[in-house]
Amino acid sequence: MSTLTVDQPGKSVLMMGNEAIARGAIEAGVNFCAAYPGTPSTEIAESLARVAEHFGLYAEWSTNEIVALEAAAAASLAGLRAIVAMKQNGVNVCSDFLMTISLSGTKGGLVIVAADDPSAISSSNEQDSRNFAKFADLPLLEPATFQEAKDITKWAFELSEKLGLPCMIRSVTRLSHSRGNVKLGEIPEGRPVARFEGAYIAGAFVAIQHSALHQKLEQAREAFEESEFNWYVGPEDAKFIIVTSGSGWFYSREAVAALGLGEEVGILKIGTTWPLPERFIIDHLRQATEILIVEEVDPFLEQNIKVILSEQAKTLGPIEVYGAKSGHLPGFGDINQDKVARALASIKGLEYRTRDEVYAQRASDLALPILPPRMPTVCPGCPHRASLWAIKAALKLDGRDGFVTGDIGCYSLGAGPAGFWQLKTLHCMGAGTGLATGFGQLGQFGFNQPVISVCGDSTFFHAAIPGLINARFNNSNLLMVILDNGGTAMTGFQPHPSSGYDALGRPAPVVEIEEVCKAIGVEVKVRDPFEVDQAIEDLYDMLQEDGVKVMVFRRKCYLVESKEKGRKRVFVEPEKCIGDDCGCARFCSRVFNCPGIIWDQEAQKAKIDEVVCTGCGVCATLCPRGAIVVEGG
Amino acid sequence: MEAGKGPVDLEKEVLNEGLCASCGACVGICPYIKVVKDRVAIIEPCGISEGQCYDFCPRTPTDIAALERRIFGEESPDSSLGSYISIEMAQARDSETRSRAQYGGVVSALVTYAMNQGEIDAAVLTRPFDGSLMPTSVMAEQSSQVLGCAGSSYITSATLAELNKATKQPRGAIGVVGIPCQVMALRKMQASKHETGAKGVKLVIGLFCTWALSYKGFNEFLKGKVDPSSIKRIDIPPPPANILVVHTKEGTMEFPLDEIRGSIKPTCNICYDMTSELADISVGMVEGIDDWNTLIVRTPEAKRLIDKAKQDEVIESRPLEESRLDHLREASLNKKRRAISEIVKRTGDEKNLLYLRLSDGESRKFL
Repeated sequence: MSTLTVDQPGKSVLMMGNEAIARGAIEAGVNFCAAYPGTPSTEIAESLARVAEHFGLYAEWSTNEIVALEAAAAASLAGLRAIVAMKQNGVNVCSDFLMTISLSGTKGGLVIVAADDPSAISSSNEQDSRNFAKFADLPLLEPATFQEAKDITKWAFELSEKLGLPCMIRSVTRLSHSRGNVKLGEIPEGRPVARFEGAYIAGAFVAIQHSALHQKLEQAREAFEESEFNWYVGPEDAKFIIVTSGSGWFYSREAVAALGLGEEVGILKIGTTWPLPERFIIDHLRQATEILIVEEVDPFLEQNIKVILSEQAKTLGPIEVYGAKSGHLPGFGDINQDKVARALASIKGLEYRTRDEVYAQRASDLALPILPPRMPTVCPGCPHRASLWAIKAALKLDGRDGFVTGDIGCYSLGAGPAGFWQLKTLHCMGAGTGLATGFGQLGQFGFNQPVISVCGDSTFFHAAIPGLINARFNNSNLLMVILDNGGTAMTGFQPHPSSGYDALGRPAPVVEIEEVCKAIGVEVKVRDPFEVDQAIEDLYDMLQEDGVKVMVFRRKCYLVESKEKGRKRVFVEPEKCIGDDCGCARFCSRVFNCPGIIWDQEAQKAKIDEVVCTGCGVCATLCPRGAIVVEGG
Repeated sequence: MEAGKGPVDLEKEVLNEGLCASCGACVGICPYIKVVKDRVAIIEPCGISEGQCYDFCPRTPTDIAALERRIFGEESPDSSLGSYISIEMAQARDSETRSRAQYGGVVSALVTYAMNQGEIDAAVLTRPFDGSLMPTSVMAEQSSQVLGCAGSSYITSATLAELNKATKQPRGAIGVVGIPCQVMALRKMQASKHETGAKGVKLVIGLFCTWALSYKGFNEFLKGKVDPSSIKRIDIPPPPANILVVHTKEGTMEFPLDEIRGSIKPTCNICYDMTSELADISVGMVEGIDDWNTLIVRTPEAKRLIDKAKQDEVIESRPLEESRLDHLREASLNKKRRAISEIVKRTGDEKNLLYLRLSDGESRKFL
């Protein structure tokens, strides 16, 4: 049973941060959820979709984040409560609408959750989406605890409705993806009737609208002054105060405790970070002479608090500010208790050691030999490995120094050994095809290298179609390879327009990728990348033709396939394996390098790691000696 | 055979120099070397410094005298046509075979006969006009497949790759029909210390060859002129016609040879062998006589087969007129002179003949 349906107010439940956000939406009586999957935001919409039928709410996976936001905004304009969740990059995608919906305003509560990925553990960039709230003049809330993740979300709906503005919540990986106890609230009953009235026009008297928006923000500031999500802990007369938000709260509390500074250092935790509650902040900084600002990624709080300090210089007197600018904290990457403690110790002139040196040495002596060095790779059985090998082979056979422009998906790993280093550009969703359409126009400048853009099936719908149309319209030269593994695989195989089912698992109409391509008017072929030699030949042939061509490499994500259809046993017949000899040279374990294939150092033969292998069998077709066997063929 | 060389050297000395003959000898041994159409590439270096790929290549250093000793028991006494027992004119008795063949149908008839007689169990052949300009390589296991492979498309396919595949699924005695570069590579495979599919080859029929066209070049040349899928036969009539004739379902088209010369594979210009001198049997055209072949029998085993085929009325033969023989010798010598001169142009050194390891005496004849 989902923790979202537990109807026992006051009960404490262990929840993932993203579930807590979803629960907050349920407790706010959310009616509509739209999202595009993206780490670390995915579980918010996923949890809501799971209980959609139970609560009679609507949930969808949208084709991209701007469509998700627009769809959710429609529900708001019809008076419903709507939530849209996305990863940091999604905010960039939806920003065009964001900058105008703030002007037209909204009706029912509309909450935008932006989940940032500090250190870019699962992203192509690192960004601080809080800047978008300031940029678009929207109120911004930052939960610091699991309880707050729920409570802030619930309150955000009320605030949004009160202001007639979307409200933005910023989470980070450490909050979204870890778990803590959450005390449940009540689940409201009843479903409102949706009705659209009036007009929401951004662009009419924009300057006046903009000024009205600023007034709404002032109202938000007033509400924030009294917010329960801002608090202070520590001595009343602390001269040294940590000002923090979001994940910084836990780290700061632990760092203060670790250094035994509880008697002299206070922590001012802000949950409403744009616009800042100025009076609240001034009140708590009156005694302070030094402050350390702890936050994840950009010095957002730091710079905005410095503005307040400068405006209030007469009242507050000189206050030394430590943070990213002073170099005590990085201003990039994720932070942790250790980084905060080091910053604090360095300011305070204290010695701080995370752990005993002898212990640290013993731990590393023990751990290192058993941890083999590993490069990031795609899963065992991943069709992208075969696709990228075919691409590499076709480009090599072509012999004109062709290259691959990539974008975002599992196949982004093709920029490394998992894809034989084939991707030579990597930016955002759809960028590979956009770049390729430009490269394909450089013939008049002596450019003769063939260009292959790769994009996933979900990415195709999300962002690559305009690039393809542009290529067709402007007569570019490119080969677009759509790596169709049947779902939005990187985030957990959520459905997309050609999957045939929707966010709730119900059958859905199929938008055929090849039909879209044909309608655009380009040549399209569909092939199975596991038929490697055929794939190579067809790619090679397509590279010889001028114009815009599309190859769809269709093969379902094998992690999913093996779960659905069962896993075939794959094994090596050692007497056939020629290992290091001419004719093989450990192709399977060294070059093709599927994690399911290992090299038996003792026997000097390849071996299948049956725990890891998904049974896809592509290695059996590539083995030059037929030494790899798939049981049952 | 040069020791200590592998794929990196093959790429540098042969592939990057445009000298690959696309014979297929290096294809199918390992997962690193691939062929599409007549383009061969090393997808990724395997890291092995001494490889079969380099060993087998007809464009890596080749001690021709050593190969001749291995095949014929002696070095060739004849600089123009290689070792041989007899040279004559021949044709298939069966008129259907003749009508489908390029010339006299001797090759198709002999391969079919050898299979039917159990002399060979399978034959590595090249099938032209398989719906495209690009011929396909075939490992024929039924004699009924042979006639479908009659005729020439003037484009090489990586036929020898079929032999490398045979290491995965061993077959019995194999016959091979190939052009001179393929025959040379095959002989290198047989001479190699490695276990190869060529070890099972019991009959080698070599074709005469002046040059072959690159698929890409010829395909582009024909674009807009001829639908490749409708081609039934391509022929180059003897001089002074100087044309290439394409027979299609719709009719016949002629193209001046000079317009096509740009598509000749560069490697053909350094080829020293017109008559497949290392084959058991060599077969080619007889200038001016459409439905007869020139037949060169080189080994005693081949002679036995030919005699039997004549006895069984599979082929018939006539003596080749002296003037025609002289003409053949001259054509072969001309190819050798052109090749040596082209090689020296490339190397700038009369002592460096690239892949050819000839005795000083032998090379001096052509310089």
